[in-house]
Amino acid sequence: MTGDLFIPPGLIMILGAWLLPFLGRRVQAWSVLVLSSLSLLAFGLTAADSYGQIEWLGIELVVARVDSLSRIFGVIFHLAAILSAIYALHVRDARQHVAALVYAGAAIGACCAGDLVTLFVYWELTALSSVFLIWASDNERAYRSGMRYLIIQVGSGVLLLSGIIVRYVATGSVEFVRFTPEGGAMDAAAMLILLAFGIKCAFPLLHNWLQDAYPEATPSGTVYLSGFTTKLAVYALARGFPGTELLIWVGCAMTLFPIVYAVIENDLRRVLAYSLNNQLGFMVVGIGIGTELAINGTAAHAFCHIIYKALLFMSMGAVLYRVGTVKATELGGLHKSMPWTTGFCMVGAGAISGFPLLSGFVSKSMILSAAGEQHLFWVWIVLLIASAGVMEHSGIKIPFFAFFAHDSGKRPKEAPPHMLVAMALAAGLCVLLGVAYPLLYRWLPYPADYHPYTAAHVVTQLQLLLFAALAFVFLMKTGLYPAEQRATNLDTDWVYRRAFPMLIHGGSVVFGGLDRGLRRAALGSLQAFLRGVRTLFSEHGLFGRAWSTGIMTFWATILLAFCLLLYYL
Amino acid sequence: MKTDQTSHEADAAPSWFERPENIRRMILALCVACAIVVLADLFYENHHPHFDLETSFGFQAWFGFVAFVAVVALGTALRTVVRREEDYYDR
Repeated sequence: MTGDLFIPPGLIMILGAWLLPFLGRRVQAWSVLVLSSLSLLAFGLTAADSYGQIEWLGIELVVARVDSLSRIFGVIFHLAAILSAIYALHVRDARQHVAALVYAGAAIGACCAGDLVTLFVYWELTALSSVFLIWASDNERAYRSGMRYLIIQVGSGVLLLSGIIVRYVATGSVEFVRFTPEGGAMDAAAMLILLAFGIKCAFPLLHNWLQDAYPEATPSGTVYLSGFTTKLAVYALARGFPGTELLIWVGCAMTLFPIVYAVIENDLRRVLAYSLNNQLGFMVVGIGIGTELAINGTAAHAFCHIIYKALLFMSMGAVLYRVGTVKATELGGLHKSMPWTTGFCMVGAGAISGFPLLSGFVSKSMILSAAGEQHLFWVWIVLLIASAGVMEHSGIKIPFFAFFAHDSGKRPKEAPPHMLVAMALAAGLCVLLGVAYPLLYRWLPYPADYHPYTAAHVVTQLQLLLFAALAFVFLMKTGLYPAEQRATNLDTDWVYRRAFPMLIHGGSVVFGGLDRGLRRAALGSLQAFLRGVRTLFSEHGLFGRAWSTGIMTFWATILLAFCLLLYYL
Repeated sequence: MKTDQTSHEADAAPSWFERPENIRRMILALCVACAIVVLADLFYENHHPHFDLETSFGFQAWFGFVAFVAVVALGTALRTVVRREEDYYDR
C-alpha cells in the first residue's frame, strides 16, 4: 500500500459529473470528453497495487485494486467512455451527460474494486445512472422499459448483497477473490453471487432486459449502454468464477439462441442487442474453460468487442438520428446518401465477424483455440456455428438491410461530423488491433504466446465467412431468406409482461367473483330474515295484529277449564 | 454525397451497387473467392490440429454454409411460434 495520494479510478468522472449542470449547454458535452480523458490519464499513472485499505464497521475494505485483469478492463472502459463522449457531442440534455459520466465512472470503479462491498456500491450506481439514459428518450415505451430494466438491475444488486452477507457470516471476509476453489463445489454465497453476475451478463432466461431496454434509449445513450454493464459482469465472472465448468455450457447456450432471434428481428438495434448477447456467450465460455489462453481470449475479446459493438451501435444510431427509425422494413438504399456511415458500419461488421486483419480475428480465435486445446469438441463446434450466425446478423443483415437491399426512397443527410469522427476512430482501432495485435496482447492478464496469423487460421476463417456469405446469396436468390416484417417477437419478457399480469388479473377476477357471490348470499339471507320478522310483527302478522275481546275471553275460558281439569285429575 | 433531405421515389439513375451487371460481377467474385479459399487447403499444413475434423478438406467451408442455412431455417421456424402484432404489448 502506498502512502501517496491516489485517486480511486473512475472517481474523477463520478464527482465531475455533478459539476456539469452548472456549466453552459454547449460546454457540458465537451466537459464529458475532457473529464473522461483526464480520468484515463490518471488511471495510466496509477501503478498496479492495492489502495484505500480502510476499516468500516469492522470490515476490511480495499477500495481499489489494480492488477493485470482490472487494468485491461479499466483501459477499455475509459476508451469506450471517450469514444462515446465524442459521439454524444450533439446532446443538449444535461441529464444524459451526468448519467453517462456517472455510469462510465462507476463501471471503472467497479472493475478496480478490491472488496465486495465497494463492488456492490459501484454495481448499484451503474444501474441507477444508466436507467436515465433509457428514460431520456422521453416516451411512454421508454419509461416502462426503463422501469423493467431498473427492477431487474436492482434485483441483481439485491442478490449480490445477499451473497456478500452470507459470505461474510461464513468466512468473515469480503475480499473480491475467486469464489470457487479448485474442483470444489459452490456454496450458497457463491451461487447467489453467480446469479447476480449472471443477470447483468444476460445469461439465458435472465437476458431479455438487454433486448427490451437498449433499443429504447437515445442514439448516444445506447452507445454508452452497450459498453459497460455487460462487460463489467464479464470482468466480475472472470475474477470470481474462472474455470467453473457450468459456465462453459451456459456460454454455449448464450451463443446459440440469440442468433436465431436476430434473423427475424426488425428493429436493427434490437438485432445488435441479440448480437451482444451472443458475443457475451463467447466470453463466458472462455471464463468457463479457465486456462490462461482462455482468460486471455476473454479479455482480448471483451476489449475488441466493446469497440466494434460501439461502432455498430454508432452507425445505427446515426441512421436513427437522421432517418428517425432503425426498422429494417423502412430502410434500404442509404449508402447513396450516407456513404461514410455505410463504410464504417461495414468495418464494424467485418470486425465482429472476425475477418482477418480486423480486431475480431485476433481475439475470438484465442477462445476457439482454448476450446481446442482442452479437446472440447462440441464446444468448438458450437462456437463455429455461432461464428456463422454472427456473420448472418451482424456481418450481413445489419449493413445490407440498412444501407443496401431495396431502395426505400429515403435520402437522409450524412451523419454529423462529430459522429463521423467517433466512428472513424473506432474503425481505426478495429484495424489497428487486427494488424498490430501485439499492442493488444501486452495488456492481457497472462503472458500471451499466441500467433493468430497462421495459414491454417486465416484460410479456415475465410472459408467459414465467405461460404456463409455465399449461403446468404443462395437464400436470397431462391427466395428462402425470410423477409423483414413489422412484428413483435416474444421472448422471455413475455413471462413478466404478459403471463404474470394475466395471472394476477385472472386471479382477481376469480376472487372478485367469489367475494361478490359470498357477499350477495350473506346479505340476501339477512334480508330474507328481516323480511320474515317484519311480516310477523306487521299489522296483520301473528304478533302484530289486534286481537278482539271476544276471542280473548273465549281462549281465556278454555285455559281456565283446562287448569280446573288438571287440578281434579 | 447528396445532402438533399426530401424523400422521393428511387432515383432514375441507380448507384453502382444497384446495377444488375455489377451485382452479377460481385456474386461472381464471391464464387471465385470461395473456390480459391477451398483450394488453398491443399497448399498449407496445419501443424497443431486439435481435432481430426479440422484437417479434412474444406471443412469450415461446407460447415459455414450449412450452419448459416440452418440458423436461418431455425429463425424462420421460430417466427411461426413467437411472431405477434407490432403493438402486442401496447394493447
